[in-house]
Amino acid sequence: MNQAVRTDILTVRGVSKIFGADRGSVAALSDVNFSVRRQQFVTIVGPSGCGKSTLMQILGGLASASCGEVLLNGEKIAAPRPDHIAAVFQEPWLLPWKSAQENVEFPLSLKGVAVAERRARAAAQLELVGLAHAATRLPHELSGGMRQRVAIARALVQEPDLLLMDEPFAALDEQTRTKMGNELLRIWEHSRRTIVFITHGLTEAIYLADVILVMAARPGRIVERIEVPLPRPRSIDMIGSEVFGQLRNRIWQLIGDSP
Amino acid sequence: MTRSGLQRVFVLGAQLLVVAVLLGLWQAAAPLGWVDPDTLPPFSAVLDTLWQMLHDRSFLQDIEITGVEVLVAFIVMVPTGLLIGFVIGENRPLYRTLRGPLDLLMAMPKALFLPLFIFVFGIGFAEKVLFSLTLGIFVVILAGIAAVHSIPQGLINAARSMGATKAQIYTRIYLPGMIPLLLNSVRVGLIFTIFGVLVAEMYVSTHGLGRMIFDAGEAYHLRDMLAGVLLIAVISIALSEMLRRFERLIRTRRASFS
Repeated sequence: MNQAVRTDILTVRGVSKIFGADRGSVAALSDVNFSVRRQQFVTIVGPSGCGKSTLMQILGGLASASCGEVLLNGEKIAAPRPDHIAAVFQEPWLLPWKSAQENVEFPLSLKGVAVAERRARAAAQLELVGLAHAATRLPHELSGGMRQRVAIARALVQEPDLLLMDEPFAALDEQTRTKMGNELLRIWEHSRRTIVFITHGLTEAIYLADVILVMAARPGRIVERIEVPLPRPRSIDMIGSEVFGQLRNRIWQLIGDSP
Repeated sequence: MTRSGLQRVFVLGAQLLVVAVLLGLWQAAAPLGWVDPDTLPPFSAVLDTLWQMLHDRSFLQDIEITGVEVLVAFIVMVPTGLLIGFVIGENRPLYRTLRGPLDLLMAMPKALFLPLFIFVFGIGFAEKVLFSLTLGIFVVILAGIAAVHSIPQGLINAARSMGATKAQIYTRIYLPGMIPLLLNSVRVGLIFTIFGVLVAEMYVSTHGLGRMIFDAGEAYHLRDMLAGVLLIAVISIALSEMLRRFERLIRTRRASFS
Protein backbone atom coordinates (compact mmCIF):
# COMPACT_ATOMS: atom_id res chain seq x y z
CA MET A 1 0.00 0.00 0.00
CA ASN A 2 1.34 3.42 -0.89
CA GLN A 3 1.19 6.51 1.27
CA ALA A 4 -1.76 8.13 -0.50
CA VAL A 5 -3.97 5.18 0.21
CA ARG A 6 -3.08 5.19 3.88
CA THR A 7 -4.03 8.80 4.54
CA ASP A 8 -7.30 9.62 6.22
CA ILE A 9 -9.61 11.67 4.05
CA LEU A 10 -12.30 12.11 6.66
CA THR A 11 -11.95 12.43 10.40
CA VAL A 12 -14.92 12.70 12.77
CA ARG A 13 -14.00 13.77 16.28
CA GLY A 14 -16.34 13.86 19.25
CA VAL A 15 -19.38 14.79 17.20
CA SER A 16 -22.64 15.19 19.12
CA LYS A 17 -25.92 16.59 18.02
CA ILE A 18 -28.58 17.66 20.46
CA PHE A 19 -32.03 18.72 19.31
CA GLY A 20 -34.09 21.02 21.50
CA ALA A 21 -32.89 22.99 24.51
CA ASP A 22 -32.47 21.99 28.19
CA ARG A 23 -35.02 19.51 29.46
CA GLY A 24 -36.77 17.57 26.74
CA SER A 25 -33.68 17.75 24.59
CA VAL A 26 -32.73 14.67 22.61
CA ALA A 27 -29.22 13.55 21.86
CA ALA A 28 -29.44 12.40 18.24
CA LEU A 29 -25.72 11.74 18.22
CA SER A 30 -23.38 11.28 21.15
CA ASP A 31 -19.59 11.45 20.87
CA VAL A 32 -19.18 9.93 17.43
CA ASN A 33 -15.57 9.24 16.44
CA PHE A 34 -14.22 7.56 13.33
CA SER A 35 -12.02 8.12 10.36
CA VAL A 36 -12.18 7.03 6.75
CA ARG A 37 -9.14 6.31 4.60
CA ARG A 38 -8.86 7.43 1.00
CA GLN A 39 -10.57 5.06 -1.47
CA GLN A 40 -12.21 3.10 1.28
CA PHE A 41 -15.81 1.94 1.10
CA VAL A 42 -17.32 2.48 4.53
CA THR A 43 -20.89 1.56 5.41
CA ILE A 44 -22.70 2.87 8.45
CA VAL A 45 -25.44 0.53 9.60
CA GLY A 46 -27.93 0.94 12.39
CA PRO A 47 -31.59 0.82 13.31
CA SER A 48 -33.91 3.64 12.33
CA GLY A 49 -33.68 6.54 14.73
CA CYS A 50 -29.99 5.98 15.51
CA GLY A 51 -29.02 9.31 13.99
CA LYS A 52 -27.57 7.96 10.74
CA SER A 53 -29.17 10.62 8.62
CA THR A 54 -28.26 13.36 11.07
CA LEU A 55 -24.67 12.19 10.86
CA MET A 56 -24.90 12.29 7.09
CA GLN A 57 -26.21 15.86 7.17
CA ILE A 58 -23.30 16.89 9.35
CA LEU A 59 -20.76 15.13 7.13
CA GLY A 60 -22.25 16.87 4.11
CA GLY A 61 -22.10 20.28 5.78
CA LEU A 62 -25.89 20.60 5.60
CA ALA A 63 -26.25 20.65 9.38
CA SER A 64 -23.88 21.64 12.15
CA ALA A 65 -22.76 19.49 15.07
CA SER A 66 -23.60 20.62 18.60
CA CYS A 67 -20.03 19.82 19.50
CA GLY A 68 -17.05 18.07 17.99
CA GLU A 69 -15.68 18.52 14.49
CA VAL A 70 -15.56 16.94 11.06
CA LEU A 71 -12.31 17.25 9.12
CA LEU A 72 -11.97 16.68 5.40
CA ASN A 73 -8.33 16.39 4.39
CA GLY A 74 -7.58 18.06 7.71
CA GLU A 75 -9.91 20.98 7.01
CA LYS A 76 -12.98 21.63 9.11
CA ILE A 77 -16.35 21.22 7.37
CA ALA A 78 -18.86 23.92 8.24
CA ALA A 79 -20.81 24.22 4.99
CA PRO A 80 -21.42 22.07 1.90
CA ARG A 81 -18.17 21.43 0.04
CA PRO A 82 -19.24 20.73 -3.55
CA ASP A 83 -15.59 20.78 -4.63
CA HIS A 84 -14.83 17.73 -2.45
CA ILE A 85 -18.05 16.08 -1.30
CA ALA A 86 -21.03 14.91 -3.31
CA ALA A 87 -24.15 13.32 -1.87
CA VAL A 88 -26.76 10.82 -2.99
CA PHE A 89 -29.96 10.71 -0.95
CA GLN A 90 -32.74 8.19 -0.45
CA GLU A 91 -34.77 10.05 -3.07
CA PRO A 92 -33.00 10.96 -6.31
CA TRP A 93 -34.18 14.60 -6.10
CA LEU A 94 -33.87 15.21 -9.80
CA LEU A 95 -35.30 18.36 -11.34
CA PRO A 96 -38.49 17.05 -12.96
CA TRP A 97 -38.35 19.48 -15.89
CA LYS A 98 -34.81 18.58 -16.88
CA SER A 99 -33.68 15.54 -18.86
CA ALA A 100 -31.35 12.94 -17.37
CA GLN A 101 -28.42 14.57 -19.16
CA GLU A 102 -29.39 18.08 -17.98
CA ASN A 103 -29.82 16.83 -14.43
CA VAL A 104 -26.31 15.42 -14.43
CA GLU A 105 -25.02 18.69 -15.87
CA PHE A 106 -26.81 20.70 -13.20
CA PRO A 107 -24.05 20.84 -10.54
CA LEU A 108 -21.54 21.80 -13.21
CA SER A 109 -23.82 24.50 -14.53
CA LEU A 110 -24.16 25.85 -10.98
CA LYS A 111 -20.39 26.18 -10.92
CA GLY A 112 -20.36 27.91 -14.30
CA VAL A 113 -18.57 25.15 -16.21
CA ALA A 114 -18.69 25.85 -19.97
CA VAL A 115 -21.49 24.14 -21.89
CA ALA A 116 -19.30 21.93 -24.10
CA GLU A 117 -17.27 20.67 -21.16
CA ARG A 118 -20.25 19.91 -18.95
CA ARG A 119 -22.03 18.11 -21.82
CA ALA A 120 -19.05 15.84 -22.30
CA ARG A 121 -18.50 15.21 -18.60
CA ALA A 122 -22.16 14.48 -17.93
CA ALA A 123 -22.39 12.17 -20.94
CA ALA A 124 -19.36 10.23 -19.69
CA GLN A 125 -20.96 9.72 -16.26
CA LEU A 126 -24.28 8.67 -17.75
CA GLU A 127 -22.36 6.15 -19.80
CA LEU A 128 -20.65 4.88 -16.66
CA VAL A 129 -23.96 4.28 -14.89
CA GLY A 130 -25.31 2.60 -18.03
CA LEU A 131 -27.82 5.27 -19.00
CA ALA A 132 -26.29 6.72 -22.17
CA HIS A 133 -29.39 5.59 -24.05
CA ALA A 134 -31.75 7.47 -21.73
CA ALA A 135 -29.94 10.82 -21.72
CA THR A 136 -32.81 12.80 -23.23
CA ARG A 137 -35.55 11.29 -21.08
CA LEU A 138 -37.28 13.20 -18.31
CA PRO A 139 -37.18 11.78 -14.76
CA HIS A 140 -40.83 10.69 -14.84
CA GLU A 141 -40.04 8.61 -17.91
CA LEU A 142 -37.40 6.64 -15.97
CA SER A 143 -37.83 3.79 -13.49
CA GLY A 144 -36.94 4.26 -9.82
CA GLY A 145 -33.61 2.46 -10.26
CA MET A 146 -32.74 4.53 -13.32
CA ARG A 147 -33.57 7.75 -11.52
CA GLN A 148 -31.27 6.82 -8.70
CA ARG A 149 -28.53 6.02 -11.23
CA VAL A 150 -28.95 9.51 -12.66
CA ALA A 151 -28.52 10.85 -9.12
CA ILE A 152 -25.32 8.81 -8.78
CA ALA A 153 -24.03 10.12 -12.11
CA ARG A 154 -24.87 13.64 -10.94
CA ALA A 155 -22.78 13.05 -7.80
CA LEU A 156 -19.87 11.50 -9.70
CA VAL A 157 -19.75 14.29 -12.27
CA GLN A 158 -18.66 16.61 -9.47
CA GLU A 159 -15.53 14.45 -9.16
CA PRO A 160 -15.77 14.37 -5.39
CA ASP A 161 -13.05 13.03 -3.12
CA LEU A 162 -15.80 11.75 -0.91
CA LEU A 163 -19.15 10.34 -1.97
CA LEU A 164 -21.83 10.35 0.73
CA MET A 165 -24.74 8.00 0.19
CA ASP A 166 -27.74 8.13 2.53
CA GLU A 167 -29.75 4.93 2.07
CA PRO A 168 -29.69 5.46 -1.69
CA PHE A 169 -31.35 2.16 -2.54
CA ALA A 170 -33.86 2.01 0.31
CA ALA A 171 -36.77 3.08 -1.87
CA LEU A 172 -36.05 0.41 -4.49
CA ASP A 173 -37.35 -3.14 -4.64
CA GLU A 174 -35.13 -5.99 -3.44
CA GLN A 175 -34.03 -7.15 -6.88
CA THR A 176 -33.18 -3.67 -8.12
CA ARG A 177 -31.39 -2.97 -4.84
CA THR A 178 -29.06 -5.96 -5.26
CA LYS A 179 -28.39 -5.01 -8.86
CA MET A 180 -27.67 -1.42 -7.91
CA GLY A 181 -25.27 -2.60 -5.20
CA ASN A 182 -23.24 -4.49 -7.77
CA GLU A 183 -23.38 -1.51 -10.13
CA LEU A 184 -22.13 0.73 -7.37
CA LEU A 185 -19.20 -1.59 -6.62
CA ARG A 186 -18.31 -1.67 -10.30
CA ILE A 187 -18.41 2.14 -10.47
CA TRP A 188 -16.43 2.43 -7.25
CA GLU A 189 -13.74 0.08 -8.52
CA HIS A 190 -13.65 2.10 -11.73
CA SER A 191 -13.48 5.55 -10.17
CA ARG A 192 -11.82 4.63 -6.85
CA ARG A 193 -13.52 7.35 -4.87
CA THR A 194 -14.04 7.20 -1.16
CA ILE A 195 -17.60 6.24 -0.25
CA VAL A 196 -19.47 6.57 3.01
CA PHE A 197 -22.71 4.64 2.61
CA ILE A 198 -25.52 4.70 5.14
CA THR A 199 -28.02 1.86 5.28
CA HIS A 200 -30.26 -0.05 7.62
CA GLY A 201 -29.83 -3.25 5.62
CA LEU A 202 -27.30 -5.65 7.17
CA THR A 203 -26.67 -7.60 3.97
CA GLU A 204 -26.10 -4.45 1.99
CA ALA A 205 -23.81 -3.05 4.70
CA ILE A 206 -21.59 -6.15 4.65
CA TYR A 207 -21.67 -6.82 0.93
CA LEU A 208 -20.46 -3.36 -0.07
CA ALA A 209 -18.04 -2.46 2.69
CA ASP A 210 -14.37 -2.53 3.52
CA VAL A 211 -15.29 -1.25 6.96
CA ILE A 212 -18.65 -1.30 8.73
CA LEU A 213 -19.50 1.18 11.46
CA VAL A 214 -22.33 -0.19 13.56
CA MET A 215 -24.56 2.37 15.23
CA ALA A 216 -27.05 2.10 18.06
CA ALA A 217 -29.87 4.42 19.05
CA ARG A 218 -30.72 6.59 22.07
CA PRO A 219 -28.31 8.18 22.04
CA GLY A 220 -27.05 7.67 18.49
CA ARG A 221 -23.51 6.39 18.73
CA ILE A 222 -21.02 4.06 17.07
CA VAL A 223 -20.77 0.78 18.99
CA GLU A 224 -18.37 -1.16 16.80
CA ARG A 225 -16.02 -0.83 13.86
CA ILE A 226 -15.75 -4.02 11.79
CA GLU A 227 -13.27 -4.73 8.99
CA VAL A 228 -14.88 -6.98 6.38
CA PRO A 229 -12.54 -9.86 5.55
CA LEU A 230 -14.26 -10.76 2.27
CA PRO A 231 -12.12 -10.48 -0.88
CA ARG A 232 -12.86 -8.18 -3.81
CA PRO A 233 -14.50 -8.24 -6.24
CA ARG A 234 -17.58 -9.29 -4.29
CA SER A 235 -20.06 -11.72 -5.76
CA ILE A 236 -23.60 -12.65 -4.84
CA ASP A 237 -22.69 -16.18 -3.61
CA MET A 238 -20.52 -14.68 -0.84
CA ILE A 239 -23.76 -13.66 0.84
CA GLY A 240 -24.39 -17.35 1.59
CA SER A 241 -20.89 -17.95 2.96
CA GLU A 242 -20.10 -18.71 6.59
CA VAL A 243 -18.03 -15.56 7.10
CA PHE A 244 -20.89 -13.47 5.83
CA GLY A 245 -23.38 -15.21 8.10
CA GLN A 246 -21.18 -14.73 11.17
CA LEU A 247 -20.73 -11.06 10.39
CA ARG A 248 -24.44 -10.61 10.02
CA ASN A 249 -25.14 -12.33 13.32
CA ARG A 250 -22.59 -10.20 15.07
CA ILE A 251 -23.99 -6.95 13.75
CA TRP A 252 -27.49 -8.12 14.54
CA GLN A 253 -26.47 -8.75 18.14
CA LEU A 254 -24.73 -5.38 18.41
CA ILE A 255 -27.80 -3.58 17.21
CA GLY A 256 -30.16 -5.74 19.24
CA ASP A 257 -28.11 -5.55 22.47
CA SER A 258 -28.07 -1.80 22.69
CA PRO A 259 -30.70 -0.53 25.12
CA MET B 1 -55.91 8.94 -35.59
CA THR B 2 -55.08 7.66 -32.14
CA ARG B 3 -57.76 6.71 -29.69
CA SER B 4 -57.12 9.68 -27.42
CA GLY B 5 -57.12 11.92 -30.49
CA LEU B 6 -60.53 10.62 -31.47
CA GLN B 7 -61.74 11.12 -27.93
CA ARG B 8 -60.56 14.72 -28.00
CA VAL B 9 -62.41 15.41 -31.23
CA PHE B 10 -65.53 13.86 -29.76
CA VAL B 11 -65.33 15.98 -26.59
CA LEU B 12 -64.72 19.15 -28.62
CA GLY B 13 -67.73 18.32 -30.79
CA ALA B 14 -69.91 17.79 -27.73
CA GLN B 15 -68.75 21.11 -26.25
CA LEU B 16 -69.56 22.97 -29.46
CA LEU B 17 -72.95 21.29 -29.50
CA VAL B 18 -73.75 22.51 -25.97
CA VAL B 19 -72.79 26.08 -26.94
CA ALA B 20 -74.86 25.83 -30.15
CA VAL B 21 -77.91 24.56 -28.26
CA LEU B 22 -77.67 27.37 -25.69
CA LEU B 23 -77.31 30.02 -28.39
CA GLY B 24 -80.16 28.40 -30.32
CA LEU B 25 -82.42 28.57 -27.26
CA TRP B 26 -81.49 32.21 -26.78
CA GLN B 27 -82.18 32.92 -30.45
CA ALA B 28 -85.54 31.13 -30.45
CA ALA B 29 -86.83 32.28 -27.06
CA ALA B 30 -88.33 35.60 -28.18
CA PRO B 31 -89.73 34.57 -31.62
CA LEU B 32 -91.39 31.55 -30.01
CA GLY B 33 -92.99 33.82 -27.46
CA TRP B 34 -91.26 32.32 -24.41
CA VAL B 35 -89.95 35.73 -23.37
CA ASP B 36 -90.63 39.35 -24.18
CA PRO B 37 -88.25 40.42 -27.01
CA ASP B 38 -87.57 43.65 -25.07
CA THR B 39 -86.32 41.61 -22.13
CA LEU B 40 -84.29 39.13 -24.10
CA PRO B 41 -83.67 40.19 -27.69
CA PRO B 42 -82.60 37.30 -29.96
CA PHE B 43 -78.92 36.44 -30.18
CA SER B 44 -78.69 37.64 -33.78
CA ALA B 45 -80.13 41.03 -32.85
CA VAL B 46 -77.62 41.44 -30.02
CA LEU B 47 -74.82 40.40 -32.36
CA ASP B 48 -76.03 42.95 -34.87
CA THR B 49 -76.10 45.68 -32.20
CA LEU B 50 -72.59 44.73 -31.08
CA TRP B 51 -71.37 44.99 -34.66
CA GLN B 52 -72.84 48.48 -34.98
CA MET B 53 -71.45 49.53 -31.61
CA LEU B 54 -67.99 48.43 -32.64
CA HIS B 55 -68.15 51.21 -35.21
CA ASP B 56 -69.09 53.74 -32.56
CA ARG B 57 -66.19 55.86 -31.37
CA SER B 58 -67.44 56.33 -27.80
CA PHE B 59 -67.91 52.58 -27.36
CA LEU B 60 -64.37 51.93 -28.58
CA GLN B 61 -63.22 54.51 -26.08
CA ASP B 62 -65.05 52.64 -23.31
CA ILE B 63 -63.31 49.43 -24.36
CA GLU B 64 -59.97 51.17 -24.33
CA ILE B 65 -60.47 52.70 -20.89
CA THR B 66 -61.57 49.42 -19.34
CA GLY B 67 -58.85 47.48 -21.16
CA VAL B 68 -56.08 49.77 -19.94
CA GLU B 69 -57.36 49.66 -16.37
CA VAL B 70 -57.47 45.86 -16.39
CA LEU B 71 -54.07 45.63 -18.01
CA VAL B 72 -52.37 47.98 -15.57
CA ALA B 73 -53.99 46.32 -12.56
CA PHE B 74 -53.00 42.88 -13.85
CA ILE B 75 -49.42 43.82 -14.66
CA VAL B 76 -48.90 45.38 -11.24
CA MET B 77 -50.80 42.66 -9.38
CA VAL B 78 -49.06 39.52 -10.62
CA PRO B 79 -45.43 40.31 -9.75
CA THR B 80 -46.42 42.10 -6.53
CA GLY B 81 -48.62 39.22 -5.40
CA LEU B 82 -46.04 36.63 -6.31
CA LEU B 83 -43.28 38.51 -4.53
CA ILE B 84 -45.39 38.83 -1.38
CA GLY B 85 -46.41 35.16 -1.59
CA PHE B 86 -42.82 34.16 -2.17
CA VAL B 87 -41.53 36.08 0.85
CA ILE B 88 -44.30 34.75 3.11
CA GLY B 89 -43.94 31.18 1.82
CA GLU B 90 -40.19 31.18 2.28
CA ASN B 91 -40.33 32.47 5.83
CA ARG B 92 -41.88 29.96 8.24
CA PRO B 93 -42.56 32.32 11.20
CA LEU B 94 -43.98 34.96 8.86
CA TYR B 95 -46.15 32.33 7.22
CA ARG B 96 -47.47 31.09 10.55
CA THR B 97 -48.22 34.64 11.63
CA LEU B 98 -49.99 35.71 8.45
CA ARG B 99 -51.80 32.52 7.48
CA GLY B 100 -54.85 33.33 9.62
CA PRO B 101 -55.18 37.00 8.61
CA LEU B 102 -54.72 36.06 4.96
CA ASP B 103 -57.48 33.47 5.07
CA LEU B 104 -59.70 36.02 6.76
CA LEU B 105 -59.00 38.64 4.10
CA MET B 106 -59.51 36.03 1.42
CA ALA B 107 -62.94 35.13 2.78
CA MET B 108 -64.08 38.72 3.18
CA PRO B 109 -66.19 40.17 0.35
CA LYS B 110 -63.71 42.85 -0.64
CA ALA B 111 -66.18 44.57 -2.95
CA LEU B 112 -67.64 46.13 0.22
CA PHE B 113 -64.59 48.36 0.41
CA LEU B 114 -65.25 50.07 -2.90
CA PRO B 115 -66.66 53.21 -1.21
CA LEU B 116 -63.49 53.39 0.85
CA PHE B 117 -61.35 53.29 -2.31
CA ILE B 118 -63.44 56.08 -3.81
CA PHE B 119 -63.08 58.09 -0.61
CA VAL B 120 -59.29 57.72 -0.56
CA PHE B 121 -58.39 57.83 -4.25
CA GLY B 122 -61.33 59.71 -5.76
CA ILE B 123 -63.21 58.47 -8.78
CA GLY B 124 -60.97 57.54 -11.66
CA PHE B 125 -58.11 55.47 -12.95
CA ALA B 126 -56.21 54.98 -9.68
CA GLU B 127 -59.33 53.96 -7.77
CA LYS B 128 -60.37 51.39 -10.42
CA VAL B 129 -56.90 49.91 -10.76
CA LEU B 130 -56.22 49.70 -7.04
CA PHE B 131 -59.65 48.27 -6.25
CA SER B 132 -59.44 45.50 -8.83
CA LEU B 133 -55.85 44.82 -7.87
CA THR B 134 -56.94 44.37 -4.27
CA LEU B 135 -59.66 41.95 -5.35
CA GLY B 136 -57.27 39.80 -7.33
CA ILE B 137 -54.01 39.91 -5.42
CA PHE B 138 -54.99 37.53 -2.63
CA VAL B 139 -55.38 34.59 -4.98
CA VAL B 140 -51.97 35.33 -6.40
CA ILE B 141 -50.40 35.68 -2.95
CA LEU B 142 -51.89 32.37 -1.79
CA ALA B 143 -50.77 30.69 -5.01
CA GLY B 144 -47.28 32.08 -4.53
CA ILE B 145 -47.18 30.60 -1.02
CA ALA B 146 -48.51 27.24 -2.26
CA ALA B 147 -45.96 27.26 -5.07
CA VAL B 148 -43.07 27.83 -2.66
CA HIS B 149 -44.35 25.06 -0.43
CA SER B 150 -44.64 22.70 -3.41
CA ILE B 151 -40.84 22.59 -3.71
CA PRO B 152 -39.62 19.66 -1.59
CA GLN B 153 -37.06 20.45 1.11
CA GLY B 154 -35.04 17.41 0.02
CA LEU B 155 -34.47 18.96 -3.38
CA ILE B 156 -33.26 22.17 -1.78
CA ASN B 157 -30.88 20.16 0.42
CA ALA B 158 -29.60 18.27 -2.61
CA ALA B 159 -29.01 21.55 -4.45
CA ARG B 160 -27.21 23.00 -1.42
CA SER B 161 -24.93 19.98 -1.31
CA MET B 162 -24.14 20.64 -4.97
CA GLY B 163 -23.02 24.11 -3.94
CA ALA B 164 -26.07 26.08 -5.10
CA THR B 165 -26.12 29.61 -3.70
CA LYS B 166 -29.32 31.08 -2.26
CA ALA B 167 -29.83 33.07 -5.45
CA GLN B 168 -29.30 29.96 -7.58
CA ILE B 169 -31.83 28.03 -5.51
CA TYR B 170 -34.38 30.79 -6.17
CA THR B 171 -33.75 31.20 -9.87
CA ARG B 172 -32.86 27.65 -10.89
CA ILE B 173 -35.21 25.62 -8.70
CA TYR B 174 -38.00 27.68 -7.12
CA LEU B 175 -38.91 29.72 -10.16
CA PRO B 176 -39.03 26.99 -12.82
CA GLY B 177 -40.55 24.55 -10.32
CA MET B 178 -43.37 26.92 -9.49
CA ILE B 179 -44.37 27.97 -13.00
CA PRO B 180 -47.26 25.52 -13.61
CA LEU B 181 -48.90 26.39 -10.28
CA LEU B 182 -48.36 30.09 -10.84
CA LEU B 183 -49.92 30.22 -14.29
CA ASN B 184 -53.15 28.85 -12.92
CA SER B 185 -53.33 31.55 -10.26
CA VAL B 186 -52.44 34.21 -12.80
CA ARG B 187 -55.49 33.11 -14.78
CA VAL B 188 -57.79 33.33 -11.77
CA GLY B 189 -56.20 36.66 -10.85
CA LEU B 190 -56.99 38.01 -14.30
CA ILE B 191 -60.65 37.08 -13.96
CA PHE B 192 -60.78 38.84 -10.58
CA THR B 193 -59.17 41.92 -12.10
CA ILE B 194 -61.69 42.17 -14.93
CA PHE B 195 -64.50 41.71 -12.44
CA GLY B 196 -63.05 44.38 -10.15
CA VAL B 197 -62.70 47.01 -12.84
CA LEU B 198 -66.22 46.39 -14.17
CA VAL B 199 -67.79 46.53 -10.72
CA ALA B 200 -65.97 49.77 -9.92
CA GLU B 201 -67.10 51.25 -13.22
CA MET B 202 -70.70 50.24 -12.66
CA TYR B 203 -70.67 51.72 -9.19
CA VAL B 204 -69.39 55.19 -10.08
CA SER B 205 -67.75 56.19 -13.32
CA THR B 206 -68.16 58.35 -16.36
CA HIS B 207 -66.62 55.97 -18.87
CA GLY B 208 -65.77 52.33 -19.40
CA LEU B 209 -67.60 49.16 -20.39
CA GLY B 210 -69.02 48.64 -16.92
CA ARG B 211 -70.53 52.12 -16.97
CA MET B 212 -71.88 51.61 -20.48
CA ILE B 213 -73.54 48.34 -19.55
CA PHE B 214 -75.00 49.79 -16.39
CA ASP B 215 -76.38 52.85 -18.21
CA ALA B 216 -77.86 50.68 -20.97
CA GLY B 217 -79.53 48.51 -18.34
CA GLU B 218 -80.90 51.55 -16.47
CA ALA B 219 -82.38 52.89 -19.71
CA TYR B 220 -83.84 49.47 -20.65
CA HIS B 221 -81.66 49.30 -23.75
CA LEU B 222 -81.33 45.58 -23.34
CA ARG B 223 -79.76 45.05 -26.75
CA ASP B 224 -76.92 47.45 -25.94
CA MET B 225 -76.49 45.97 -22.51
CA LEU B 226 -76.35 42.40 -23.76
CA ALA B 227 -73.98 43.41 -26.56
CA GLY B 228 -71.59 44.77 -23.93
CA VAL B 229 -71.96 41.65 -21.77
CA LEU B 230 -71.39 39.44 -24.79
CA LEU B 231 -68.21 41.30 -25.71
CA ILE B 232 -66.82 41.03 -22.18
CA ALA B 233 -67.71 37.35 -21.97
CA VAL B 234 -65.97 36.61 -25.25
CA ILE B 235 -62.84 38.55 -24.29
CA SER B 236 -62.67 37.00 -20.78
CA ILE B 237 -63.12 33.48 -22.09
CA ALA B 238 -60.55 34.04 -24.83
CA LEU B 239 -57.94 35.41 -22.41
CA SER B 240 -58.59 32.70 -19.84
CA GLU B 241 -58.42 29.97 -22.47
CA MET B 242 -55.19 31.39 -23.86
CA LEU B 243 -53.60 31.29 -20.43
CA ARG B 244 -54.93 27.77 -19.86
CA ARG B 245 -53.46 26.58 -23.15
CA PHE B 246 -50.15 28.15 -22.26
CA GLU B 247 -50.27 26.51 -18.83
CA ARG B 248 -50.98 23.11 -20.37
CA LEU B 249 -48.16 23.55 -22.85
CA ILE B 250 -45.76 24.32 -20.01
CA ARG B 251 -47.07 21.42 -17.96
CA THR B 252 -46.42 18.89 -20.70
CA ARG B 253 -43.05 20.37 -21.50
CA ARG B 254 -41.88 20.37 -17.92
CA ALA B 255 -43.34 17.81 -15.59
CA SER B 256 -43.69 19.28 -12.13
CA PHE B 257 -43.48 17.82 -8.64
CA SER B 258 -46.09 15.24 -7.98
